[in-house]
This record gives sequence, structure tokens and C-alpha cells, in this order.
Amino acid sequence: MKTTGPHHRYFAWMAWAVLALGFAGVAQALAQEEVASSLRRYKNREVSSGFYEQYEVRPTRLSPVSVPGVGQGIFPYSPAAAQVRIRRRLADSHRGIKFYASLRCVRCHKAEVNDIHSTRANLTCRQCHGGEPISSIDHFYSPMNPIRRHAYVCAKCHEGASASFASYIIHEPPAGSMIAKSQFPLLFFTYWFMFILLVGTLAFFIPHSLATGARELFIKMKARKHHAGRSD
Amino acid sequence: MPVDRIRRFSVIDRVFHLSLMLTFITQAATGFSRLYYSTVWGKSLTQVLGGYENCLTTHKAVGVVMIIGLVIHTLLLFKRVDWKNPINSILGPDSLVPNFQDLMNMKQRILWFFGLGPAPRFDRWTYFEKFDYWAVYWGLPLLAVTGLMSMYPLVTSQFLPGWSINIAVLLHRAEALLAVTYIFVVHFFVGHLRPMSFPMNEAMFSGSVPIDEIMEEKPAWIERIRQEGRQTGLRAEQPVSWYRVTYYVFGYAVLTSGIYLLVNGIIYSRSINLH
Repeated sequence: MKTTGPHHRYFAWMAWAVLALGFAGVAQALAQEEVASSLRRYKNREVSSGFYEQYEVRPTRLSPVSVPGVGQGIFPYSPAAAQVRIRRRLADSHRGIKFYASLRCVRCHKAEVNDIHSTRANLTCRQCHGGEPISSIDHFYSPMNPIRRHAYVCAKCHEGASASFASYIIHEPPAGSMIAKSQFPLLFFTYWFMFILLVGTLAFFIPHSLATGARELFIKMKARKHHAGRSD
Repeated sequence: MPVDRIRRFSVIDRVFHLSLMLTFITQAATGFSRLYYSTVWGKSLTQVLGGYENCLTTHKAVGVVMIIGLVIHTLLLFKRVDWKNPINSILGPDSLVPNFQDLMNMKQRILWFFGLGPAPRFDRWTYFEKFDYWAVYWGLPLLAVTGLMSMYPLVTSQFLPGWSINIAVLLHRAEALLAVTYIFVVHFFVGHLRPMSFPMNEAMFSGSVPIDEIMEEKPAWIERIRQEGRQTGLRAEQPVSWYRVTYYVFGYAVLTSGIYLLVNGIIYSRSINLH
């Protein structure tokens, strides 16, 4: 019986190919297991930081496949739309922006340069946000991710910064604005409480002082007239 | 002929007022220089006061002095209470604690403003003088707590979330602006500009007031002193002229500094953020 033939050779090649793919696949699966297992992930990360699920996404080469609040389906959004929707979680947060290399940060982030770090300490954006590519705040590996921001960013100047310290809002919204009401309600109500206190105090005491001044002026004038009348 | 005068403030009261004047104007100047640092005026003010960093060092050090002053003042306050008869001592007419009579006096005075009734007969402290006194007691602790929070943010964030420092900084600035506006507008007007005090109410420096002047302003106090027969014990001498010149120059220097800060603060207020 003839053991070698053209068909047999094809089977042999296919076997090698399957074996090679299998090895490659196993290697990939092993690499992904650490992050694919939520329990292991929890043990490794979440216990130490207290921050995980609300900020984190799994690191993948592609964009994450689900975003809370966005409808599911076979093709819920196009790759282009996905980039926009999940910009907060990209490895390169400015991915796909045209002529990005020639733009300045302030061109788009106008309000963000008004913070104390920029106006007082003369910090530039990159001193905290890093070089290119600037990863999104919530990206798994971003130094700005709240699970490590205090150690990777804040502690560069504020030695000993804790995760709590890093929850200081650098780019805080204008305190009296409706943006602040939705994003930072306590700041909003503090602002308006102090504003009403200031206006209320002055609204009582300025007219009160002016009225006192006017009445005392009348008394003095009357006394002077009385005095003049007596001396005549 | 020397005017007959009556003692109104003790030496300790006057020393506290003087310390508060000095520390307050220092805090206002260094604080404003930093608050307005992003403006041209703020930058020049900062340079006069030793630079951006040194302004903060001064502001912190003087802030701590103010906190210590407040604590000492509070301790002396407890010492001043007559503990054998605490209710009469705390709520009596010589005390600065507000009472029901103040409310009636306020109503009476507002009616008097519009010519709808006679002027209220004030005792030792009027309701607006009491407000001046207690305003420091609400302002200073708030500024002290928020100031210490901003001064030690790492320690603060061990006990409170880091975003509480956002609130603290806002509160510190808003309360400081309230205090500065109130003192430089209302307190300066009452102390210097109103016809009865013009050009300067000297009581807080000389410690005493002419009896005929105070008879017009606070008749109930003088009557009470006469009834209790304490008149001779409270008699005071006219302050010597070199001392008068000194406190006039000093008072007007602080007044000018305050008005300078206030006017420029208003001019440049549109160029800064409160937070």
C-alpha cells in the first residue's frame, strides 16, 4: 500500500498548520487570562485601590466592545463613532483627530487652562498629562488613571500624595455655573451660599450705615443752626 | 479746659484691636496679591510684598498668629465672665452677647431712619457694634479651618476626600472677600466717615470717650453708670497729644491701605476667578 501521495501531503501540512495556530492561540489565551479573570483582577488591583470597575476597561488592542449606556446590537456603532464615544478610554485619547500634531492643547481645551496649576504654578499640560500619545484618563495603563494618579502624577510635586489627595479637582467647573451644579454640587451650593451671605450682609449694612450718616448729618446741622441762633 | 471723659475700652481690648488691625491688613494685602496674581496689579503688589512665594509664607505665619490670638481672646473671654452670677454677666447690658433688647433697638432705629419714631436709647453696645464683634467670631474660625486645610492638604486628605480642598479654597476666598468688603466699606464708614465720628472715632485707641458725646449716642449706658454710682471709677484722662498724632497717622495709614486694596480689587475683579 502506498503511504505517500499528494492528498496525504496536504493533510500533513494542515496538521502542522493547526499545531502552529494552536500554539499561537494558547499563547494568546494565556496572556489574556490574567485580565480576563475578574477574580484575579480583583485580587491583584481592586483590593489595593478601592477603585476599579467604575473607571477601568480591559486592555485590548481594539476598542472595548461595550460602553455603559450605549445600546447593544450586532453593530451598535461604527469604528469611527466608537472612537468618539469612548475617547475617555483610549490608549491615545486624540486618536483620529486631523492635523493633531500641529494643534495646541488650548485650541480645544479652553476652560482647562484656567486652573490654579496653569495660572499660578506655570505648569504646562504635558507636565501632568505626559508626552504623546496622551492616553485617556480612564485607560487601563494611563498614569492619570485614578488608581495610580496620586503616585504617578501628583506625587511628582506633592510628595506623599494619597489617592484621596488626588481626588482634588484640578479642572474644577466655574463654581456658580450650572455645570458645577451637575458635576460638583457641593461647590455650587457653597458658592451660592457665600454669595447670598455677602450680598445679604452688605445689602443690610450699607443702607444702614448710609441712613445713620444721613440722620447724624441732620442732627449736626440742626445743632449748628440752634447754636448759631443762640449766639445772635 | 479738659473734657470730662469716660473709659470705654480696657488696655487689653485695645491691644487686641490693634493686633487684629495689623494682622488683618497684612492678610488682606498678601491674600489679595496672590488672588490677583494673574493681573498686572496683583503682580506689582506681590513684588512690593516680597514675591509670590514670600507672600504665602507671610500669609501662613500671620494666619497662625491670628488663630493663636483668637484662642487667647476666647480664654480671656471666659475669664471675664462673672462665674458667681453667669446669667447676668453673659446676658447683661455690659456683655456683647446679643439679646432681645437688640432686636427691639434695631426695629426702633430703622423706624427712626424714616422719621417714624424716636431714636432708640442704646446701652453700652449697640446691635451693630455687637455684629462687628461677632462677625470676627464667625469669619476667623472659618478662615482658620479652611486656611489650615489648604496649608496642609496631605494631612487634610487623610481625614477628608481631596475634593474637600476645592471647597475649602472657595470658602476661604469667599469669606475673605466678605470680611474685607465689610471692614473696608461698613466698618471704615462707621469708624471714620459718619458725621458723629468724622474724622476718626478715637475710642478704640484712646480707650475713652467724651461724656457729652457718648450721652447722645448711648444715653442708657451713662444713666446706668450714674445710677450705679460708678462714674468716678470710670473717669479717664484726655490722651496726650503725641499719642493722638501717632494713632491718627497709623489709623489713616491702615484706612488708606484698605481703600487702596478695595478699589483695585473691584477694578480687577473681572480678571480673576474666585476658585
